[in-house]
Amino acid sequence: MISRRALEIATAILTGSFGVAVVVSSFDNGIGWSAAGVDAGTFPLLTGVIIVAGSLYNLARGVLPGGTLASVPVAITTIELRRLAGLFVPAALFVALIPIVGMYVASAGYIFAVLALPRHQSLLRSLAMALATPLALYVVFERMFQVTLPHGALAAAFGL
Amino acid sequence: MENLQELLHGFTIAVTVPHLVLMVIGVLLGILVGVLPGLGAPNGVSLLLPLTFGMQPVSAIILLSSMYWGALFGGSVTSILFNIPGEPSSVATTFDGYPMARDGRPTTALATAFGSAAFGALVGVILITFLASWVAQVALAFGPPEYFAVYFLAFASFVGMGGAAPIKTVVALAIGFAIAAIGIDTVSGSVRLTMGIDELVKGVNFVVAVMGLFGIGELLVAVEEEFHARGVSSRIDWKEVFRAVVRLPRHGIALLRSAAIGCWMGITPGGPTAASFMSYGIARRFSRRGRHFGTGEVEGIISPETADHAAGTSALLPMLSLGIPGSATAAVMMGGLMIWGLNPGPMLFVDQKDFVWGLIASMYVGNIVAVALVLLTVPVFAALMRIPFVIIAPLIVIICVVGAYSVSNSYLDVVMMLGFGVVGYLFKKLFYPLAPLVLAIVIGDKAEDAFRQSMLMSKGSLGVFFANPLVTSLVLAGLALLLLPLALQIAHVRRKPGERKSIAPGPEDRRSRPTATSAAQTPR
Repeated sequence: MISRRALEIATAILTGSFGVAVVVSSFDNGIGWSAAGVDAGTFPLLTGVIIVAGSLYNLARGVLPGGTLASVPVAITTIELRRLAGLFVPAALFVALIPIVGMYVASAGYIFAVLALPRHQSLLRSLAMALATPLALYVVFERMFQVTLPHGALAAAFGL
Repeated sequence: MENLQELLHGFTIAVTVPHLVLMVIGVLLGILVGVLPGLGAPNGVSLLLPLTFGMQPVSAIILLSSMYWGALFGGSVTSILFNIPGEPSSVATTFDGYPMARDGRPTTALATAFGSAAFGALVGVILITFLASWVAQVALAFGPPEYFAVYFLAFASFVGMGGAAPIKTVVALAIGFAIAAIGIDTVSGSVRLTMGIDELVKGVNFVVAVMGLFGIGELLVAVEEEFHARGVSSRIDWKEVFRAVVRLPRHGIALLRSAAIGCWMGITPGGPTAASFMSYGIARRFSRRGRHFGTGEVEGIISPETADHAAGTSALLPMLSLGIPGSATAAVMMGGLMIWGLNPGPMLFVDQKDFVWGLIASMYVGNIVAVALVLLTVPVFAALMRIPFVIIAPLIVIICVVGAYSVSNSYLDVVMMLGFGVVGYLFKKLFYPLAPLVLAIVIGDKAEDAFRQSMLMSKGSLGVFFANPLVTSLVLAGLALLLLPLALQIAHVRRKPGERKSIAPGPEDRRSRPTATSAAQTPR
């Protein structure tokens, strides 16, 4: 279970850290006025500072008791968290596998895994859909629109 | 009159067999993404974008804009039949649309929604027809300071009128600006904000951001709330359609008021979502039957639908004539314009007459095509909703992954897309607005360039933004909008001393049931 407050704080920290990263790296480009006008780092510095300031405000609102946040204490329940993970973890694994086995194998494996493993669909149906997906991708992208999808290190190893 | 001639010329471009076919394809794809939760107009359009690179710009924009109309209509179908808004902008339609459908009048609800939506769109297109070229003419005289002032006004209106918590809007905007700055700086040529990752020199493509923010993000929100697609009957009774449409003029005032709200919110980038909520809230307050809102009132459907479509359509006005998109989807389309080698803004009306008027004419035809197609295909798309979400979700993930990859054949884009997905989920969950973020990614560079060019003109003096009445009033209007939430807060605290502040129920309440007073209070 994740409380609304925890989620607000985590998000504020996330946006704030991005802001800090923007501020820090904006110093590489020069700040202020030079012969060429406003220096390249100025605008990023400004946006970075705004992000940090805004995130601090949101963080404070998340930490301080009261306010509108108190009315919705729970943001994500345990069941919801499980459903979220059920969608996101396989998707992340799928993306992680693309450089190794390529888009086609990864997508087939992904579809098969999410349909067959939790027994949402019968084995046969899952297998059929798992095979149909890369086929459809191949026809639409490599054939119709001439976009080469990554074939992966595995295919390269086989010399494909 | 000149406009009408141009428009007639536009019709000769838009009404050709290939373009009509493109409209039908676009509308059908649009309804599809509108119906599917997790896919919306912004990513539908960005998914299609890479496929338009080889097309004529006017054909490409007809395809993309038709998809937009289709998505706007498709979102309403699921709102009414399943109580599941397919698009954020059709959330307000669920309030009265679903109760009416549940009471055994699904055809009336759908026909009322489509009829008023078509009316809203029509008003929006007429507005564009007569106003766009005039605005463009005015804008031709703009220099960098005026441009910066208009950008500033656009961003400020998100803060002042977007309806989300102002500071969250500011953070979302600033993040968008920072993302837009990543890569090579167009003015100095130096590399910025790559944070040690060489591949980021090419910058972050907005399509990648949109896929993640709207695609994966929305999917994560959708999977969390378990879907019960217990829809009501989706059979269309044509006599009932006719009766509902004939009854529409009786609600003339609601129609006109909602269209006006929609056009206003579309041109000043408040977007369709804010427009539909505002329109619903106002209708509820002013209707004689306001107490019955939420139980299946006709005006409760008319108001959000008319405003939604009026806003969606008129969002293209500032995109065409100023180069400032009025909604997230318009922002994506504008990105497309730039990729096709067009320069969105007033020069379009001089250099690309065929493109502009072909598009405007296609908006008339496209909306008619959309109404006809959506009525004909309601049963088909309603059946689609009965496919289990566990099957649809991974397919949408694959579409987003392949879509992000195909933008520039980069694996890093796919990883970033997934990261944007997490951000999109968090932002949606915590009511950070996504539209200003996308808008800032698309036009952040241009706003920055306008600012730096102004500074070069004035040798570093901010006085250039107050140099003439036009730029001064634009800047002042922007500042006023920026400070509006603060002023409202102060006024409220003054009026009710001692009472705990609760002025900003904001979008926090939007997803709660409409039985509360929330919908009437949300819009600001």
